[in-house]
Amino acid sequence: MITLKKNFFSALILLFLTIIICFFSAFEFLRMHENKKIYPSKGLSTQTKLSTYFKDLQNTPGDTDVYIFQGQKKGGNLLILGGTHPNEPASFITAVLLVENILVSQGKVVIIPRANSSGFTHSDSQEGNPQGFSLETTDGKRWFRYGSRLTNPIHQWPDPALYINPAGQRLSGTESRNLNRCYPGRIKGRLTEKIAYGIMELIKKEEIHLALDLHEAAPEYPVINAIVFHENSAELAALALMELQIEGFEFRLESSPPNLRGLSHREWGDYAKVRAILLETANASQGRFKGKPSASLIVNGKDKNYVKAAKLGRLFVPFDEKGIPLKLRVARHLAAINALVSGLKELAPSIVVELEKMPPPSLVKKEGIGCYLRAQK
Amino acid sequence: MQFIYHLIVFYLTVNLIWYLFREKKFWNQVSTAIVLIIFLLRLFLIK
Amino acid sequence: MSEAVIFLSMVAIFAVLAMGLRLPIGVSLVLSALVGSLLGGEGIGLRHLVEGSFGYFDTILIIVSAMIFMKVLQASGILDTITALLLKTFYKRKFFLLITVMGLIMFPGMITGSSTTAVLSTGALVAPVLMKLGLPRVKTAALIAMGGILGMIAPPVNILVMIMGGGVDMPYVGLTIPLLIIVIPLAIIISLWLGYKDIKTIGFDQMKAILPESFFKKYGFRIYIPLLAVVVLMLGKSVFVQFTPDIGIPAIFFVGSLIGLFCGRPFNFFKVTQEAIKEAMPILCILAGVGMFIQIMTLTGGRGWTVISFLSLPPVLLYLGIAVSMPLFGAVSAFGSASILGVPFVLALINKNAIITTSALSAIAGLGDLMPPTALAGIFAAQVVHENNYFKVLRFCLIPALFELFMGIGVLLLAPLIDKII
Ligand SMILES: [Zn+2]
Repeated sequence: MITLKKNFFSALILLFLTIIICFFSAFEFLRMHENKKIYPSKGLSTQTKLSTYFKDLQNTPGDTDVYIFQGQKKGGNLLILGGTHPNEPASFITAVLLVENILVSQGKVVIIPRANSSGFTHSDSQEGNPQGFSLETTDGKRWFRYGSRLTNPIHQWPDPALYINPAGQRLSGTESRNLNRCYPGRIKGRLTEKIAYGIMELIKKEEIHLALDLHEAAPEYPVINAIVFHENSAELAALALMELQIEGFEFRLESSPPNLRGLSHREWGDYAKVRAILLETANASQGRFKGKPSASLIVNGKDKNYVKAAKLGRLFVPFDEKGIPLKLRVARHLAAINALVSGLKELAPSIVVELEKMPPPSLVKKEGIGCYLRAQK
Repeated sequence: MQFIYHLIVFYLTVNLIWYLFREKKFWNQVSTAIVLIIFLLRLFLIK
Repeated sequence: MSEAVIFLSMVAIFAVLAMGLRLPIGVSLVLSALVGSLLGGEGIGLRHLVEGSFGYFDTILIIVSAMIFMKVLQASGILDTITALLLKTFYKRKFFLLITVMGLIMFPGMITGSSTTAVLSTGALVAPVLMKLGLPRVKTAALIAMGGILGMIAPPVNILVMIMGGGVDMPYVGLTIPLLIIVIPLAIIISLWLGYKDIKTIGFDQMKAILPESFFKKYGFRIYIPLLAVVVLMLGKSVFVQFTPDIGIPAIFFVGSLIGLFCGRPFNFFKVTQEAIKEAMPILCILAGVGMFIQIMTLTGGRGWTVISFLSLPPVLLYLGIAVSMPLFGAVSAFGSASILGVPFVLALINKNAIITTSALSAIAGLGDLMPPTALAGIFAAQVVHENNYFKVLRFCLIPALFELFMGIGVLLLAPLIDKII
């Protein structure tokens, strides 16, 4: 009887402790769910939601903001997708930078900064990443979240053991939460497949001509500092590459492999028949070799492990003590967007897009991102 | 499908708590409490 | 404090707690992770500790549900019935028995990509038969553990290859032949190595004497329904995925367990669940603890330091590095090893056919499921035969594991040749 009482008592204490731990960690986990504001430039014509293109997304964690900049003159329609993978900050930040600065004089620009908004609400297990990072703007600090490559499991649960994506490829189960493996999406599919479907619908309804998917990759990943193009955009990609070289940005051209299915640069081209291009920069904070993860690693991109790995010949980009800072990665994305837009002008004058007030890549590279952003209000 | 998994996690959480109170060895109770944390957080769809 | 020092102190504290103070392994891992977080200047790091253990949430669900299913098979008399059936069929054909048994153990692993599933389902089915025919307990467990690992590597579903392929943009296509080249010889050699000497062929009367009670007469064909349901649902996932919904492994086991309620000897489902939790608890806590340990190790820079140290080995030692580090890192989990080390190694071998290198590396990474403290395959195999000390089981896995390791390295070395043949 006495032992029974004793173990009952210790169980009670342990249960209480468990609840305390749950309470305090829940507080931190739930903090990831508050949406940080974006402050669009005065060039914005319409702000809408992805669910206007695919009703099923309404009131789901997959719904996300869509910013439309309509020019006075008729021209081409450009889609820029950021935040497909919320652990690739240059992608999201480039999209935010555009939304907060650009004016469009000809054609139309559609921007989705948080393509997988669910992925922004949690961080990857066992990666030890910070939940966010801050940038110094002219009038104060601005916070951004650092999320996960995948949709939050509480929004899409469970994973299958084996995932067969809408394009028929077999993948490991967690990839069912990877937006960039779920194209062209499924109407009655899982949440991530629905997001992909919504984006396909947007591409059709907004009559997009050129669609860009912004990404980053670990420096040890072979497709990096790259323009990955669907075969329908080979000429455009080559033209852009030449312009980028003149401006001093090294890129490599990668043709989208026809047997790698479910990715944006493949299925946007195949199913929606738009020119589809994916851009990659090198982000040490998502790599396997990274040292201590920190906000500084995300922003300054310095990591001694990667310096070592570069010396060992394990990387596909040069990496030295100076690192690869976020401002450089964002500048590369901006430069590539510029080059692609001007390439389009040359190749297809009927679908020109004219962007103004775009933060100049060379200045972003030198002075940083902060001077083109507002501080938190 | 998510509903079914919710149900499974609920059933297992109840079982874990029951087991926590029935187990006699202190360190086994500690182990149970550690495992219980993630079950509770998933049950309430927090993480 | 440098990341190496923090990491090594975490390991030292773990060793003191687990071996010196004899605390449960899971609890020792949690405490050493906590100390690591403090040493790294992260405070208690509560968010990181909890987030880390979530890395194994899905695995934990699979293990608990598989464990419940195994207990249901026992409680309802299905296990005895199957043992009787197998025994009657095979009591005088030892070669055929061993090969069939190996195939049976591997099967759930082949279609789910998880060694645990194999060990706890068909592994539990064949264990009594092997032991009744004279195979010692620990050798039986070793055979089951190795079968589970081979099943995990065998086609059609090899999650390890999928993980590595995902890191280098290699689609999961054309893996069947290279994986079979690795698995078939190993399955034959390992089952004969572990079993041929000890298994005895016996006479009919002897067989009758050790035959457990079959409930087939009492309950008829329905006694097999829970097993059939699990097999069909698992197959549905990899074979006719277009026609059957993929409900995930935990739900499959729950469905099988619930059907078991109505197909044999009656039992109390809640009590069975309690027993399953009691038996699974040590490993559940180990997994939660390993998750925390890894997250803190990553957070304090220890993971990066470890990975880069292995990769800094001179090129002549590359294959040695693979052979040592991948099974060792499997202490985290075979999947973790495939992701963190497998991908860089595939890239280091990029001049060879990626399909063959990932296949071979998956065979090596799979051995991680024998590596303590997690040692999923070893621990559950020991549990299946009611052996408390799983290190005894691991001892008999050593030689078969070396076979597998040599096979993996051999295929890596001969990759250009195999490439030409297939
Ligand atoms: Zn990406």
